[in-house]
Amino acid sequence: MDAVTSSYNLIERIKSGDQQAFAPLFDKHRRRLAVLIHYGLSLELRSFVEVDDVLQETWLRAFRDFGQFTYRSPGSFMSWLARIADHVIADAARSQGRQKRHAIELLRFRSASNPAGPEPMDSKTPSRLLAQEENMRRLLEKLDALPHDYRQAILLMKVEGLSTGEAADRLGKSKEATALLLHRAIKRFRALEHPGEE
Amino acid sequence: MAKEPRHDAQETTASGAREQLLADAVAEYLDRQARGEATDIESFCRIHESLALDLKPLLEALEVIEATLQPRQPAAALEPDKRLPDFLSGHKILSEIGSGGMGCVYLAFDERLGRKVAIKVLSPRFRDNAVLRERFMQEARAMAKLRHPNVAHIYSLGPAEEAPHFVMEYLEGVPLTEAARPLTLRQKAELMHKVALAVEFLHQHQVIHRDLKPANILVGPELEPKVLDFGLALQSGDHATRLSSPGDLLGTPNYFSPEQARASAPLDVRSDVFSLGAIFYELLTGEAPFRGDTLPVLIQHICQDDPVLPRRLDPTIPGDLQNICVKALEKNPADRYGSAGEMASDLERFLAEEPVLAVPTSYARLMAGKIDQHLRELQGWKQDRIVSESELDSFRKLYDRLVDREDAWIMAVRRLTLSQVTLYFGAWILVLGATLVMLFNYPSLSGTPAVLVVSAAAASTAWIGVRCWRQEQRRIAIAYLLAFCLLLPVALLVGMDRVGLFTGLTRNDAALEFFARFESFKRTTNAQLWWSVLLSLPVYSWLRRFTHASVFSLVCAVMAAVLSVVSLLRMGMLEWLDSDPGKVYLELIPFAVLFFLAGALIERFRYPADSRYFYSVAVAATFISLSGVALFHEPYANWLKRVVPRTRGQLEYLFIINAGIYLSLQFLCERLPLAQMRAVANTFRFVIPGHVLTSLLLLGLAASDLWEKTLSSAALRHEARFFEIVLPLAASLFVFGSVPRQLKNFLATGLLFLAIGIVRLEQDLFKQRATWPLGLLGAGLLLMLAAADYSPLRMAVSRLIRRQP
Repeated sequence: MDAVTSSYNLIERIKSGDQQAFAPLFDKHRRRLAVLIHYGLSLELRSFVEVDDVLQETWLRAFRDFGQFTYRSPGSFMSWLARIADHVIADAARSQGRQKRHAIELLRFRSASNPAGPEPMDSKTPSRLLAQEENMRRLLEKLDALPHDYRQAILLMKVEGLSTGEAADRLGKSKEATALLLHRAIKRFRALEHPGEE
Repeated sequence: MAKEPRHDAQETTASGAREQLLADAVAEYLDRQARGEATDIESFCRIHESLALDLKPLLEALEVIEATLQPRQPAAALEPDKRLPDFLSGHKILSEIGSGGMGCVYLAFDERLGRKVAIKVLSPRFRDNAVLRERFMQEARAMAKLRHPNVAHIYSLGPAEEAPHFVMEYLEGVPLTEAARPLTLRQKAELMHKVALAVEFLHQHQVIHRDLKPANILVGPELEPKVLDFGLALQSGDHATRLSSPGDLLGTPNYFSPEQARASAPLDVRSDVFSLGAIFYELLTGEAPFRGDTLPVLIQHICQDDPVLPRRLDPTIPGDLQNICVKALEKNPADRYGSAGEMASDLERFLAEEPVLAVPTSYARLMAGKIDQHLRELQGWKQDRIVSESELDSFRKLYDRLVDREDAWIMAVRRLTLSQVTLYFGAWILVLGATLVMLFNYPSLSGTPAVLVVSAAAASTAWIGVRCWRQEQRRIAIAYLLAFCLLLPVALLVGMDRVGLFTGLTRNDAALEFFARFESFKRTTNAQLWWSVLLSLPVYSWLRRFTHASVFSLVCAVMAAVLSVVSLLRMGMLEWLDSDPGKVYLELIPFAVLFFLAGALIERFRYPADSRYFYSVAVAATFISLSGVALFHEPYANWLKRVVPRTRGQLEYLFIINAGIYLSLQFLCERLPLAQMRAVANTFRFVIPGHVLTSLLLLGLAASDLWEKTLSSAALRHEARFFEIVLPLAASLFVFGSVPRQLKNFLATGLLFLAIGIVRLEQDLFKQRATWPLGLLGAGLLLMLAAADYSPLRMAVSRLIRRQP
């Protein structure tokens, strides 16, 4: 990884007051985060909350709370972001009930009687970020096709970038079992990519 | 080793062991990546040579994921095509004049009309997204319908076969803050007024700008501002698009509202009001209200800190403009102007040299902290005897007044403008109409139709009132809700009349019915009146909770007072009025006590501020009932005559006895640990000197009268003389009694009655004797001299006293 743009360097630059460094830093993690958020949202929540909104909020909170982040390992910034995203999703889920009740008030700006008003979010539209790129879409399709625990292993170790030990803790399995699970997950993933090879 | 619960028979075999080795290798590969080490498939496979054949495809699959998750190279990804198109919508593209998150703006030439136009094009990276493209065009279509002199005009939309774009007015102007630099304050206010009206226009067409900033408001040579880029953030799906190019947000969040910076609440028009405030701030002071070296710091400033007051930066800025600016910059949207239009009208008031309505709550916040600190210090000074109790009280009162300045809408309600007067006039006519239906018989409007008409009036005022309140049109809402407060009991009465509820007569005597006294009135009973008022009370109290407007606790207290009068009616007040008016006043006393109790309960248990109207009613009832009893209650008069036989009646004693009662009430109130109740004590204290001295004066006059009838009586002469001397003495006592607590009314009343006493002495004891005025002159001079040189005198007196024993 190029030393100038490595996460550590960027983090150091932000810590020393260079706000411009935040954009590339976040950009480096944006796709990973988008995938995690996509699978972090429950099916019901997906129809109300867009991945991009969660990303946006995560980004702002990360910015706001950056002072609280301490660099421990190359992956710690990503896990920190993932944790913030989890909170944002939890908040979104909590406010869902409220928002339903407040729907009337929102109608002022988003209703059929106001054609000029902004469109309500289209629940069938996947996240723009995830949808507008062919690669990302294909990745999601394949991840969708995996069984839940396989997908979980890939999300933890490949997307969030946890070490085998950390992922094992998260899954409540032994290191070996986790490695095995991941191995099978990748094998299945590859089979989706190259159908007929196995 | 692996204690997998899902143990396959397979795994126990050799291939199972191999699979575990393979899995461990993959895990190791990923762990290296997690540690930030450089990884390379080839070299890694060389280490695990025996597994390489199976390992390599797996690692390659991982790299495919990795590649997808890596950010694209910015330049390539964001601007895949930097070349300018030649033509769009048939206009020749000349150059690029700007670019933002959504796309870029080209300068083009409309050859048919021979004018320059600006063309906004959706960025190529969004063009593949059908939903986004559709939204872009849809919003452009909606905005093309908007025409306002201060809003950039959209001429046409690009045809479907070309890249998504729309053609708009090309503006040659400079950003607002730059244009404003050489202007006078008045011109700046005029400019801001136009901008606020333009933004209000957008809001009325359901467009929230969301990105108001000086760069988005161009000012032409005629000082005509034009608002640009409206609604783009919104139409492009809000923040999400900003996020895909973080530089956008990094550039100009200085004008973001707290809710926008936090991205927490759904934004409404008041978010734009905040941005307008931030722009106005910069217009006035030349500096943005919130600055920060880093975005987190900036966001923190926006969300938490009050900006430096504009007048601190430039003392020539009028206070009214500062009020407008700070009001728009309130953190809580509810404290801001409810709309850009409201801000515009306040600017208009400033331009018309009228006082503006804005009273920023942040002033109170600004002061409250310091004031609390100062009050604590004053408390300490009081304990050290540096300041007196009364000085502390007056400071506290003044400070309270500073902090509790009323909201703008209350001031708007109090200002008698044409619309306000019309509002109340209309409300009053509405109430009068309903009252007529209640009072009189109309052959063509009786029974159910009457009920329907009056209920419809009450219900519609309530509905409109609540709706206006929710929409922050409080000035109007209050008028409707007040009308509703009066209409509600009227509607209940009409309803009860129709249904025939509570038709029982007071003590079965039609003569005791209030409405029966008037020939032409309907036969509404006292009981119906009582119930209608009683049933309305909870509604008033709900309105108070709903609006937090204190006027409804006033309504509550007044209606409770009405309820007590109606209670008296039900007890037979009309009969007493004819035969024994004193009884009315006597029966009023328990109600006064009830109001005190109600006030104390309300204050003690939840709503201290609401209790004050109940106390007011209680105090008024106490004054009325005690005075009335003293004047008209015959058993009391007889008792007085028996106990104090030397006067002609009760009038002379009325004031002094009542003053005694008030004095004890004052003590009682002061001892109670309730702030409002303690304030009531002041009211009682206020009337005491007047009562006592009036009483002494009347007693003296009565004694002189008696004496004049039988001039020979020595006893009567002594009595008359006694009162003549007592009056000025008592007055002097009150004059000096004013000292400890700074009671100005004690001083004023005492001085007034002292003058009366001196004149009375002159009329009798010192008739035509020059010694009296001379003595007064001498005494006055002596007192003044003594007062000027007070301490030696006091020391002389104390020496004298010490020497005596």
